Amino acid sequence: MLRRPTTDRNADLFARLSHNTGEKPRDMSAYLAVEELDGVMEINLAGDWVFANLNELQQSLDEIEPGDRRLVRFQCGGLKDFDLAGAWILYERSMDFEEVGIETAFENFRATHFKFLQHIIDLAAQKEYIPGFFDPKPHHYWRSGIRAIGANTIEAVDSVGFIARAVLDGIKRPSRLVIGETIRQVHATGAAAIPIVSTICFLMGIVLAYQSARQLEQFGANIFMVDLVANAILRELGVLLAAIMVAGRSGSAFAAALGTMKLTEEVDALRVMGLNPNQVLIIPRVLGLVIALPMLTVFANAAGLLGGAFIGAAVLDINGFAFTERLATTISVNDVLVGLSKAPVFAFLIAVTGTLRGMQVKGSAEELGRLTTVAVVQSIFLIIVADAIFTVVYSRIGF
Amino acid sequence: METRQEPVISIRGLVNRFGRQVVHDHLDLDVRRDEILGVVGGSGAGKSVLLRSILGLHGPNEGTINVLGHDIRHHEPGPHRKWGVLFQGGALLSGLTVQENVELPIALHSNLPVETRRELAVLKIFMVGLDLNAASKYPNELSGGMRKRASLARALALEPKLLFLDEPTAGLDPISATEFDELVSYLHANLDLTIVMITHDVDTLFSICDRVAVLVNKGIIVDTLEEIVKHPDPWIQEYFGDPRAVRARTAARHRLSSRREAE
Repeated sequence: MLRRPTTDRNADLFARLSHNTGEKPRDMSAYLAVEELDGVMEINLAGDWVFANLNELQQSLDEIEPGDRRLVRFQCGGLKDFDLAGAWILYERSMDFEEVGIETAFENFRATHFKFLQHIIDLAAQKEYIPGFFDPKPHHYWRSGIRAIGANTIEAVDSVGFIARAVLDGIKRPSRLVIGETIRQVHATGAAAIPIVSTICFLMGIVLAYQSARQLEQFGANIFMVDLVANAILRELGVLLAAIMVAGRSGSAFAAALGTMKLTEEVDALRVMGLNPNQVLIIPRVLGLVIALPMLTVFANAAGLLGGAFIGAAVLDINGFAFTERLATTISVNDVLVGLSKAPVFAFLIAVTGTLRGMQVKGSAEELGRLTTVAVVQSIFLIIVADAIFTVVYSRIGF
Repeated sequence: METRQEPVISIRGLVNRFGRQVVHDHLDLDVRRDEILGVVGGSGAGKSVLLRSILGLHGPNEGTINVLGHDIRHHEPGPHRKWGVLFQGGALLSGLTVQENVELPIALHSNLPVETRRELAVLKIFMVGLDLNAASKYPNELSGGMRKRASLARALALEPKLLFLDEPTAGLDPISATEFDELVSYLHANLDLTIVMITHDVDTLFSICDRVAVLVNKGIIVDTLEEIVKHPDPWIQEYFGDPRAVRARTAARHRLSSRREAE
């Protein structure tokens, strides 16, 4: 803990700095040797009293037992190397002695060494003990819990306001800048994601076809595999997989990009140039993704069906012709629309969560990483929640 | 003492090329113990590349660099317990408080108990003129000058013998810059430091540097200020002939003569 030495004690210490020659010491360790003269303890310092040896120095100093002696004299003539850390540890120990009423003195310092000690003494005089600075803060579970609920509520309201504001800005004063940036975003979040999303959905089609065929084979109803795959892919999995993939790809990219722009004051620069960050940064991203995800879903659906057809032809004796015929009879345009209608909503959720979290970055690089993670996790969570709501509503209205 | 004669940093035949652009062409430099060396040069003259080469952050094309008897190789740990670096932007870790930033190198390079670590960190924080209030803050809550001071405290955490300062007064107002100069020369006088600083501040050059190294024509010219202002090189003439430099020089002379009178 920080100690507050009084200034007059320091003055005292200065007064007791004198030049004296010590006698032959008895070795105790590499750094100090203790010698006893009637009632006086002489400590001869030796070796390098530097930061690197601090642990050993502390140990050696702790081993000193002054007992009932009234004066401890540090003989500093034998010091080789000295630095602030060494000076500090020496000073601290001498203050320990002073506290129990033992006088201490430093002697035979070389000028080059003494300035370090003087430094420590000066600094110690400046030090003011601030209560509670180092003490752990008391933890109130109830209070901090209630506070957390309040803070989260405020944050949620704030977020909704932020989104409303951004959307309103976009509708009220569409800017010419938005168009080019939106097209760029459509490309970055949509077109660039086609290969990975298609591959994943193709594989999902294969998995579905295989799993359903194993069950249906028992009834000799292999052909119903087509119903199962087509319904699952078109109504649910195509759009869901595309959205989750985009959340991982683009949601995180939005948060990281906007967060970095916040940290480097680019957002502030836009604002002082008279550009609304909502307009230039958020609207193009939201709009771009809302356009891109439905299109991406089309690719995802096609790839999923292709995966099903591939397994049908390769393993289940359902050739391409039979597959398409069955598809035409079992699937209506409604099934496709059910899937596609979810896409803009998912896209909106992903883009808004990503940009919102990005804009919330303040201050540190760690914050950026944390909020990027939050953006991805929350957008996937919101996608699943929204999908559940969609499913319930659609089945109620018979869509 | 024989160690006094040995240079702290010795660079021989340093060559740095970027594509076809040669930045340093067989550059030699010796930094003496206990001096403050100011490094100046126009933009693109290779000040930062020189510093990064010395610190082992950049691999030079040719040449050897020796710091405190330690050969510097790219991407290998240098004598990092004996040197401290103040980066231009401060480079404090933004997720830690000032106190934790200063404690970090101490914690990494020793197994001291927590209390000792804290006390040592507080010591360094006080030494650069900050208080406990600033110590508990995060870097983004500090002003530019305080951030530089905090970064300096971190550079001093391991009791280095050698201190590198990259544009220490850039971005500071004149009052803070002067205070920072005073702090540097105070630390130099009190901690047996050798200081190498890249600077554009002519006031800093004239008030605290013992010698100046000028990077011109892919090489380096090192001398005391009195000598270097007489050097015929056109860039040097332009640099030190600039009204600001002339003002700084006269101011430094005034300071010197008034100090003599006081004595």
